[in-house]
This record gives sequence, structure tokens and C-alpha cells, in this order.
Amino acid sequence: MVDYLQTTIGKFLFKVAVDRYYTNEGIWVLHEGDQCRLGISDFFQQRNGDIAFIEIKPEGTKVSSGDEFVVIETIKVNISLASPITGTIVTVNPLLTTTPEIINQDPFGAGWLVNITAMNWESDQKCLLEPNAYFLRMKDQAEEAAR
Amino acid sequence: MTDNSPEIKVIIIPCSGIGKTYGSVSREAAYEVVENLRPEKTCLVALSLLVMGDEKTHDIMTEHPAITIDGCKLACATKMARASGGVVIKDYAVLDVYRRYRQYKPQGIADLNEGGIQLAHALAQEIALTVDSLTSTNDSTSPTGRAKVDGGQNG
Repeated sequence: MVDYLQTTIGKFLFKVAVDRYYTNEGIWVLHEGDQCRLGISDFFQQRNGDIAFIEIKPEGTKVSSGDEFVVIETIKVNISLASPITGTIVTVNPLLTTTPEIINQDPFGAGWLVNITAMNWESDQKCLLEPNAYFLRMKDQAEEAAR
Repeated sequence: MTDNSPEIKVIIIPCSGIGKTYGSVSREAAYEVVENLRPEKTCLVALSLLVMGDEKTHDIMTEHPAITIDGCKLACATKMARASGGVVIKDYAVLDVYRRYRQYKPQGIADLNEGGIQLAHALAQEIALTVDSLTSTNDSTSPTGRAKVDGGQNG
């Protein structure tokens, strides 16, 4: 059972799972063993709207931190996201092919994007935010957007 | 709404999301069905009439099956149609339709781009076929005929 930090801004409730790290942009990173699972945050998916299509680099692709690994088309915008992790994509969430909306429905769970073998976890981790830090940053961004 | 013809059998209820691209697509598709493709078999109901509890509209809702077109996952058209006593035979979500027609990326609001116009056209064609399937059997033109066709996409 995952615990969440949460805040309500306007009519929107935003959650931040406390068991993982985050980037400024709203990618979450869950480190398990020698792999990292990546996904997008609740705030990210709510701010950018319903996802129409998602294109992820295929399994076996080697990515360096900063390399684009996914392009997301929502009803509002097209977004290219960079991997915060250096390694090899070992699994792409198979649900995303047929039901990309799962990301909107369950961003911290079934809507995960990829599993990546973490080649430089210790150095990559230093560039990530603890959940509390991301929560504060996300709250600022949400309040700014609400003004 | 207008319900002057006894031939009208299916109600079309689009999203009322003003200022939303996908809402605009839903309305353009509804207009095309009601005004051009199947004018003799359909009539348009404005979502606002359902929200306001308009009595005449409520009566019509209970007498004819409805097809709803939602612009977003809030699915206001479908929810209000059901809350008003209507039977939604098929509920379309514009985003789901766009996923089938990726070449038609809708943009714009008051004036849809070419992609939005084409997407509305494609959606209207699908709805017209659904109307045909509904009206091809007498039993299916009553609200109780819902079991004869797809029950909808979004619950």
C-alpha cells in the first residue's frame, strides 16, 4: 500500500507517492534492485490532459540520462520526455499499446511507462528529488497554474 | 430541440463544453448527423436543457433512445442523459474516436482546423451507421431496445 502526500488546489486533488523519486518535470523513478521503473506524476497527467497516444523507445534501447525516451500526445500538447536514468529499457508497459488512458487513471500504478536497468543509479539518484521536495515544487506549479 | 416529425427516432446529445476543442468536434459531428446525414431519423437535444430540467425535453428523453457524444472523460452528456431518465444506447468519446483516426488531429475551438473538421465528419459517419442499426428494427427504437446494440464505451 503506497502512501501519498496530497493537496487540493481549486477543484483538483493532486497526489505524490512517497515511495519514489521525482524529476522537476514530473517523471517518477521507483528503484527496485538493479532496475528503475519510470512513470509520470499525478500532477503531470492532470495538467497535460487525457493521453491520446504514447510512443516509447523499444525494449533493448540504451538511454543515457537526458535522452528522449517517450513522446506523449495529449488532448492539449505533445511532450517529449527525457530519461533521468542511464541504462537499457528492459520492459515497456504492454498496457500502453491498447489503453494509454491507463496513465491518466492510475499514474503511480498500472500506468507506469518502462523498466530500465540502472547503470549509474548512484549518480542519477543525486539529480532526483525526494517526494517531499517534489511535492512542494508541484504545489507551487499547481498554484501558479491556478492563478 | 425540435421534435416535429413522427419519424424522428434517435436523440443525439453532444458535449456542451464551450471553449474545448473536443467539445467542438462533438457538436460539429452532431450537427452533421442531425442536419445532413440522418435528419429524418434523429433530433438534437442541447445538454443545457437536461441540466435545467426542461420538462418537454425530459419527456422526449424517456420516449426515445439516445446517442451521446462526450468531449472529455467527465462524460457530462452521457451522465446527464441517464440522470434525466434517458436510455443511452451508444456513448461516443471524441478522444476514443481520435485514437482511431490519428491522421485527423483536432485543433482550434471556435474554428476547428481541417483535422478537427475531418474528425467530426468521421465521427458523424459512425453515428449515422449506429442510427441505422437502431432504426432498422422496430423494437430497437424504443428505449427498451438497448440490448440490440452495443451498450456504450464509457459506462
